[in-house]
Amino acid sequence: MDPYYLLLTAVSLASIYGLLAIGISIIWSSLGMINLAQGFTFTAAGYGAWLVAENISTNGLAVVAGGVITGALVGALTGAVAFVPLYDKPNFPLRSLIATLAISLMGGQCLLWLFTPRVKALPKIFGVGSVHIGPATASYDKIGAIACTAVLLLLTLGWMKRSRRGLEIRAMMQNPEGAALVGVGLRSTAMAVMMVTGAMAGLASVLLSQTYFISPFAGTTPLVKGMVVALAGGLGSVAGALIAAVLIGFVEAFTAVELGGQWVLITQFLFIIAVLLVRPRGIAGMIEHSRE
Amino acid sequence: MSDILHIEGLSAGYGALGVLHSVDLTVRAGERIGIVGLNGHGKSTLLRAVAGLTGWQSGSIKLNGVEIGGARSQGPGRYTHKIVRMGLSLMPEGDALFHGLSVADHLDSGAYTKRAWRERKQRREYVLGIFPPLQKLLDQPVGKLSGGERRMVSLGRGLMADAKLLLIDEPSLGLAPKISKSLVEALMQIDIKDGAMVIVEQNLSLLQGNVSRLIGLHAGKLKGGALAPDLPTNELVHRDSHLHPYH
Repeated sequence: MDPYYLLLTAVSLASIYGLLAIGISIIWSSLGMINLAQGFTFTAAGYGAWLVAENISTNGLAVVAGGVITGALVGALTGAVAFVPLYDKPNFPLRSLIATLAISLMGGQCLLWLFTPRVKALPKIFGVGSVHIGPATASYDKIGAIACTAVLLLLTLGWMKRSRRGLEIRAMMQNPEGAALVGVGLRSTAMAVMMVTGAMAGLASVLLSQTYFISPFAGTTPLVKGMVVALAGGLGSVAGALIAAVLIGFVEAFTAVELGGQWVLITQFLFIIAVLLVRPRGIAGMIEHSRE
Repeated sequence: MSDILHIEGLSAGYGALGVLHSVDLTVRAGERIGIVGLNGHGKSTLLRAVAGLTGWQSGSIKLNGVEIGGARSQGPGRYTHKIVRMGLSLMPEGDALFHGLSVADHLDSGAYTKRAWRERKQRREYVLGIFPPLQKLLDQPVGKLSGGERRMVSLGRGLMADAKLLLIDEPSLGLAPKISKSLVEALMQIDIKDGAMVIVEQNLSLLQGNVSRLIGLHAGKLKGGALAPDLPTNELVHRDSHLHPYH
């Protein structure tokens, strides 16, 4: 077994799952909503990127932009349907969970109806080939996945840290009533959160489709893995989601190499059960009552 | 002088519970008003109703002449940010802070107008001038601060934008007498310009002599001084003796 190959595979998987997990984590902590439609956003963004590649241009940037923009739009749609009409009604967490589940199922059927069950492939936006860095061999799409994720994450985290909107999101994550008292509109901020996290899912979709095909329910497995990463990292913590993404990526790469791909989900779930048994709030999660 | 806040026939409460019963209150520009009363008589509810945070409410509330009240039976907090943007600053009971965010972030978060956000560095200096102990805590997360320091953060956050109406809920709650006294003194030094300040308190002696009017709140109704700004506070206190917690 080549340890460098393992490391690279783990980190590139981590960056893709991390994008979904951070989205799920931010949505949960700022809107109080478990977004089960994140997988549908992921799939729809894949088709958006495919439409761009078929009809407009197979240029890498155009394909990525197609996926990211579709992701942001579907994220906004989810927010408009599952958050805005429901957030001040009783039992919001349960209602929004059901609403996002409904969006996810209906959206999947719509994609099936629109695009037929036949799988689609995206163009290889990073080209085919690999480079040798010292003793390691790295294929273009793995390096591309890691680089794109790093750029998008740095941009998002910088924006969260420096802009007024980012401060509003961080404030809303901690205390929605306090946020309203400093003039933060919960609905408009929620829509911003949904669009940013949707864009993240869109990028993840384009990156993962470099290896896998796009199909109407392709988002289910990434949703499960993103959810696993978000839970293991601790809902609400971006740093925790990153750490958990790397750990889960390692578990997946190691299992696939040592035991075979069919064992991946089993070892991943054993891993998250172990994490949650030892540390119920996840690796870096907020303690539940610290969120008012 | 113009009315900053004009309340007419305000009733409010939570679920089946009515807390305020047809309250009238007028606050004019340049006034500092104290509202005193015992626990559970509706002081906080009055402030929360102005910010649209109660479970339900009815009656007219005018902020700077613009209607922000009306009848509402659900969606507490739905319009709060809009009311805040019209020039309201509520420093609530429990401070409503963001525990993981630093003191500097809190002060910045209070600068919600475009102009205030641009000038947030100068405004931060202004707030630190009022509450000097915050100077060396700027990078600390608020969850680690003491009760008095948190209250200062909450008050300072409310001073970062150009609020016309400052509503302050029990500045002394849970603090040592010495600290609450210095906090009230700091509040009195704030230049309210053409705005107004309403302080709600349980401790009458903290406000006496500091505010332009003292109003009692008993069983969800205002007692004395609510409409007549020229009534001397001593007379009011003697006339409505039940205002005094120890009578």
